[in-house]
Amino acid sequence: MLDIDILLQQVTNGLVNGIGYVLIALGLTIVFGVMKVVNFAHGEFYMLGAYATYIVTGAMGTNYLIAVPVAILVVAAIGVLANYVFFRPTRSQHEVVGLMSSVALGLILMNGVLFLFSAEPKTIASPFSDKVINVGPVFLTEQRLLSMVCAAFMVAGAWLFVTKTRLGKMMQATAQNIDGASLSGINVDRVYMTTFALGCGLAASAGALLGPLVSIYPTLGEWAVLKAFVVVIVGGLGSIPGAIIAGIALGLIEALSAGYISTALQDVFGYAAIIVVLMFMPQGLFGRRAK
Amino acid sequence: MSGSRNAFAVIVLLALPLLTGSDYLLHLLVLCVLFSILALSYNVTLGYIGELSLGHSAFFGIGAYASAIVSVRYGFSFWSGIFLGVTVAAAVGLVIGVATLRIKGPQFAIVTLGLGGIMHLVCSHWVGLTNGPMGITRIPPPTPIGLGELVVSFDTARSFYYLALMFLVVIIAICAVTRQSRLGRAFVSVRENDHLAASVGVDVFTTKLAAFVISTAMAGLGGVLYAHYMRVISPDVFGVHYVVAMLIMVTAGGRGTILGPIVGAVIYVVLLELLRPVGALRLIAFGVILAVCVIKFPDGIVGFLSRRNLLRRMPSRMDRKSAA
Repeated sequence: MLDIDILLQQVTNGLVNGIGYVLIALGLTIVFGVMKVVNFAHGEFYMLGAYATYIVTGAMGTNYLIAVPVAILVVAAIGVLANYVFFRPTRSQHEVVGLMSSVALGLILMNGVLFLFSAEPKTIASPFSDKVINVGPVFLTEQRLLSMVCAAFMVAGAWLFVTKTRLGKMMQATAQNIDGASLSGINVDRVYMTTFALGCGLAASAGALLGPLVSIYPTLGEWAVLKAFVVVIVGGLGSIPGAIIAGIALGLIEALSAGYISTALQDVFGYAAIIVVLMFMPQGLFGRRAK
Repeated sequence: MSGSRNAFAVIVLLALPLLTGSDYLLHLLVLCVLFSILALSYNVTLGYIGELSLGHSAFFGIGAYASAIVSVRYGFSFWSGIFLGVTVAAAVGLVIGVATLRIKGPQFAIVTLGLGGIMHLVCSHWVGLTNGPMGITRIPPPTPIGLGELVVSFDTARSFYYLALMFLVVIIAICAVTRQSRLGRAFVSVRENDHLAASVGVDVFTTKLAAFVISTAMAGLGGVLYAHYMRVISPDVFGVHYVVAMLIMVTAGGRGTILGPIVGAVIYVVLLELLRPVGALRLIAFGVILAVCVIKFPDGIVGFLSRRNLLRRMPSRMDRKSAA
């Protein structure tokens, strides 16, 4: 049956994209959950992750598999710096102030990359991009398979980190009650720094893993942050399981609607999902409660 | 005191275009006035009720497209285009405000970003109405008005400047009167503490809705003027970068004031031109300005300067007292 084969292929593509969306969105939702910052610059860290991988593999000629962790660490370090300059001073103020600060950060990062690398699209060299493997009737490049598996591991790792480790529990405590947390001896400053570095690192890992599947350009972050918002709003701001379910659902819905309906409607669908969810269930499908 | 200062400002503004014959400088003057109108409109939402809308350029775009479409396709005059552009922008603002103003803070920013995005897509894809990505060209300049024998036309930058300035003065008057009114005080009470405002009988939702509709109507006016000045518009007018520009102008100038957004708009236009040679660095500079203002000078330049003035004046008053 040909139809089943096509369906399977599309479901697989949707899954690969969906796990990528989860990875992009996870950092945004963790940063919001702990720091109450809606980071409009989150997509720029995805873009930075892709560019960092491009530099390490291209200019330095390093192996792709080494470039990925290097890129993640570099971008996480940039995140630490960004947190110190842009979000630490606005922490005690209204949420909208932090949001405006993140708009400024996004403007600086995007145009910084535009200035350094020009608007010309680049491709990340990966040894796995050309090799196609068959899983039953489904075709996948090795890169797609690698991205999907690594992304799944990253998501699982982040979840375990937040729920099981001491630092992760400190993050949860800070998210619940910042005063209570600091009274019981938690260094909130360091928790915030770790949280933001984790968020940026996750976004960068998405950029490093998904970058070779597409061509990269400085405005990539706008696309990424929009997808992340769709996932995070539908899944519930601050909810990790919500982001995982919503991200995979978004990937599948997009792949199936592109295959069977039309690609032009994809973005409209994303925006509409944000609006409908915020208007009728502001806590999202899986969020605990509205703030 | 402020009366004579205002009169002086008006004279300067009227005289400015007479000082130069350069089309380029006149063009910049017009842009300053147009962006001042946009910044004042954004200020009603961001400054008065304190909500960050990331879809504000949609209303600018709606005003521009509404007037462009009726004047190019159906030969409407500029004046009926203004009426239509402002009305349509305000009507869409009313519908969107009713739907979204119960959401606040970051969620409001995200939902308005989504709405702005949808309108951008609709404008790009509804080719039958908007001519799609090609945009609308050959928009006529504002229809000349006849004063008896004298016919005043607005097809040069200098004449358009006076027309736009007239609208700017009207907008300033509306802002000033509204701000002093009961409604204006309700705006600020909602911004400062909505629960407290509700407890003393302010209808928070209706107050926000009033501000939002005023703000969107003004943005619509800005759009109409922009369309008839540039004579060409594309779906680009719906883009987020216009919102970011308005955010920078209002924040750098001084949120919630009237002078602030105007100062911000002038600084924005001037810097945009001065920094043109440095390419992408220009937007980095704007990012830095926005960050510095948000973090260090939340009251903007105007707020900062007036506070400095106040500080300088206070000791002198005390000196006088102690001398007496």
